[in-house]
Amino acid sequence: MTSTDQSPQTRADRATAKRMRRFDNPWLNPKLIWGASLLLFIIALGILGRFVWNLDLVFTGSTPLKLPPVGFENLRRQEGVWDYPLGTDGGGRDILALIIMGAPNSLFVGMLASLIGMSVGITLGFTAGFVGGRTDDTIRILSDVMITIPPLLILVVFQAAYGDVSLTMMALLIACFVWQSPTRLIRAQVLSMRTSGYVQMAQLSGASTPHIMFREMLPNLVPYLFGSFIANVTTSIVTAVGLEVLGLGPQRIPTLGRTIYEAINAGALIQNLWWWWGIPTLLLAVMFIGLLLINLGLDEISNPRLRKLS
Amino acid sequence: MTSPVLTMKDVSIDFPTPAGIVNAVKSLSLTINPGVKVGFIGESGSGKTTTALAIMRMLAAPGRVSSGEILLGQDKTNVLTLSEEEMRRARLRRVSYIPQGAMNSLNPVMRVENQMWDAIVAHEGKTDLATLRSRSDAALESVGLPARVGRLHPHELSGGMKQRVCIALGVILTPELIIADEPTSALDVVTQRQVMETLTEVQTRIGCGLILIGHDMGLMAQSVDELAVLKDGVLVEHGTTRQIIENPQHPYTKDLISSVPLVGGETFLSPAVAAPASQKTGPEPLLEFRNVTKRYGNVTALQPMSFTLEGDVPQIISIVGQSGSGKSTMGSLMLGFNEPSDGQVLFEGKDISRLSTSEALGFRKNVQAVFQDPYACFNPFYRVEHALKFPFKRFGLSQSDAHTQTAMEEACQAVGLDPDLILRRYPHQLSGGQRQRLIVARALMLSPKLLIADEPVSMVDASLRASILKNIYDLKDKYGISILYITHDLATAYHVSDYVIVLYHGRVAEAGPPKEVIGNPQHPYTQLLIDSIPWPDMNRAWGTSNRFDAEAHLAKAEVQPTIYRGDVDGFNLSTQFA
Repeated sequence: MTSTDQSPQTRADRATAKRMRRFDNPWLNPKLIWGASLLLFIIALGILGRFVWNLDLVFTGSTPLKLPPVGFENLRRQEGVWDYPLGTDGGGRDILALIIMGAPNSLFVGMLASLIGMSVGITLGFTAGFVGGRTDDTIRILSDVMITIPPLLILVVFQAAYGDVSLTMMALLIACFVWQSPTRLIRAQVLSMRTSGYVQMAQLSGASTPHIMFREMLPNLVPYLFGSFIANVTTSIVTAVGLEVLGLGPQRIPTLGRTIYEAINAGALIQNLWWWWGIPTLLLAVMFIGLLLINLGLDEISNPRLRKLS
Repeated sequence: MTSPVLTMKDVSIDFPTPAGIVNAVKSLSLTINPGVKVGFIGESGSGKTTTALAIMRMLAAPGRVSSGEILLGQDKTNVLTLSEEEMRRARLRRVSYIPQGAMNSLNPVMRVENQMWDAIVAHEGKTDLATLRSRSDAALESVGLPARVGRLHPHELSGGMKQRVCIALGVILTPELIIADEPTSALDVVTQRQVMETLTEVQTRIGCGLILIGHDMGLMAQSVDELAVLKDGVLVEHGTTRQIIENPQHPYTKDLISSVPLVGGETFLSPAVAAPASQKTGPEPLLEFRNVTKRYGNVTALQPMSFTLEGDVPQIISIVGQSGSGKSTMGSLMLGFNEPSDGQVLFEGKDISRLSTSEALGFRKNVQAVFQDPYACFNPFYRVEHALKFPFKRFGLSQSDAHTQTAMEEACQAVGLDPDLILRRYPHQLSGGQRQRLIVARALMLSPKLLIADEPVSMVDASLRASILKNIYDLKDKYGISILYITHDLATAYHVSDYVIVLYHGRVAEAGPPKEVIGNPQHPYTQLLIDSIPWPDMNRAWGTSNRFDAEAHLAKAEVQPTIYRGDVDGFNLSTQFA
């Protein structure tokens, strides 16, 4: 760093210099760091919670009913107790135990669905962009048609007919509706990259098609893939929670959405049991803000205009 | 003596960057008198555009003028102390800016005349429609465009027309100073000449000052009165154009002048040593076109063409033409990136679209290319050595990693690059010239039999062109590689090639040895091209003739059959005139 020998005069200059230095390592992006910390907090809650908290408290009737969090009173003038720091619900379940079990479950469904969707999207997108012709037409039309179908509608019908599902099954079902946008994104990128100089150079170098696809093109797609992956995780979680709040989705496994569903069903709003629905909602909000920040951060990192500054 | 339209005193411009403050322009002083055309010349990064933007107060953040003053006009307004609103009023009315890429500076969803009206209304307030229309029509007519162009949208205009619309926009409020930032760099030579004529004509009529920014010494010599040579942000030389062209003082100016290749001038290549043996094996001709035609839909990009390149002695065949002439189509046909609509492309007697897998690999090894855009040729994900190492291993030339490393280092040195500094870097850390040399080094490492060089120097700074062409020429001279040189630049083709083909609308207009075809053109199209090249010769009337009749020439070129100007051994061309 040579800026030290020309020491900046004003405060604004120093602030600029500091901002510029941050571009040296694009991964030290404040948005990305904050977003990742929020998500790590939720994951840590899920992992550490299993060791320090008694998870048997998620079973119905294992605690007194409708206790408020510590420091609050419920309508029956009961004080919160440290045995159940975040309160209990109307079925005698501990809220803390519920979110320790439920939050990672929601995140897991989102991640898995997005991962499957992305894999399908990458494969189809590359195939469409590379093979072209009929194959391209088929894939393109299929994904365009699928984008217009509202996923919640189909999933509600499907799950209502199917009854209880496992988390994995639910992720699979949601994955059916998140592969379209990565497909389109990658197809477009592949089409423009195919005529780029370095791909032509690789062709001249006698590179095989898999080499061009995976060694020349894919690395340059990584920022897009990350962004698309995070966006898909968000969509998947929204879909999953939406289904759970409607009372669909897994019946026997605690999830954040299902907790909210039960709170609504039991009239928690009228009884002023705000912690029952409020704490899971807050946790979902933290999760979404974390994902959004990660997405914004990655966007800045992969933005070529910012990369050029380094 | 009237007072100057622009006075710059000790202007310095700084850009704070992560690696410290960059002084883009260092204490530059200059005055521009009314009616005088001043050329700012220098290579990219020399601060010429930065200076112009500073005059408009349009420097991109975080750049800023750190010292000095810029005084505009008779009343000596210091533009650096104007408020944002005063500056807005001064832009276009007092200083106008004609940008480099006119194609991107017009609003695609607005009719041309509406954009001109916007400019008038923004500066003069509400004006009635009839006045607006008459003024925009007059402005368009002043740049040689019919008034109906105003009713069109930008996408309906050609590149040259759009550039002229930008000029019309720039002069509609009769400013005191026009800044034209490489106004013709995206245009071909014929259009360039027309646009430059328009610009000087308009400037003379309204009598304003003109700053022309560019890197082409030839164009400068033909169009401006005074020259300011910039190097690394320092004004190294300033004087009248004649003075600078005929008696340059600074070594950098001398370099700039000598780097412009002249038709018929001294060659920039070292005299040919004894040609080495060709790389060729077997009796079949190296490359053969059999009645090759290429059509895209209804458009015929290449009319039926046949030729054989024997390749017994390495030769450089130049294919010259403007954009859309079919020259790049020929290049991609030869590389097998594109299949001909009719006819066959044969390499060593084998049709290249019907090769087995192993033959295809051999073909790839033997036919290599240098492309136009040195920025796109490297995968930004890898260090640059990837582009050299991968094909070397892929074609089985590498015996060991150490062998690859030595081969890479030798190739770099052969093109004048320091391997220790270059090979471990990422593409964005290298300049365009360095990258293009690396691509030449790559071709050298693979030692192909045939090299297709598609506009290898058109995106490289003028001062580096000669040395890169020399590198390419050495491939033929020292390593016996036959080269197909595709270019729009007749002057370089004149020097490097053994045979020249001039293409026009997918047809061969004129073909033969360069001394004949370029030195003494017979075909109207070739004549037009050569007339349009600007070069640093003060006594040549370029851009001052009364609207030279390009259209008439082109109309004649359409019907004129191919003119053959003699043969060279080892290359036979025949076409059917359709």
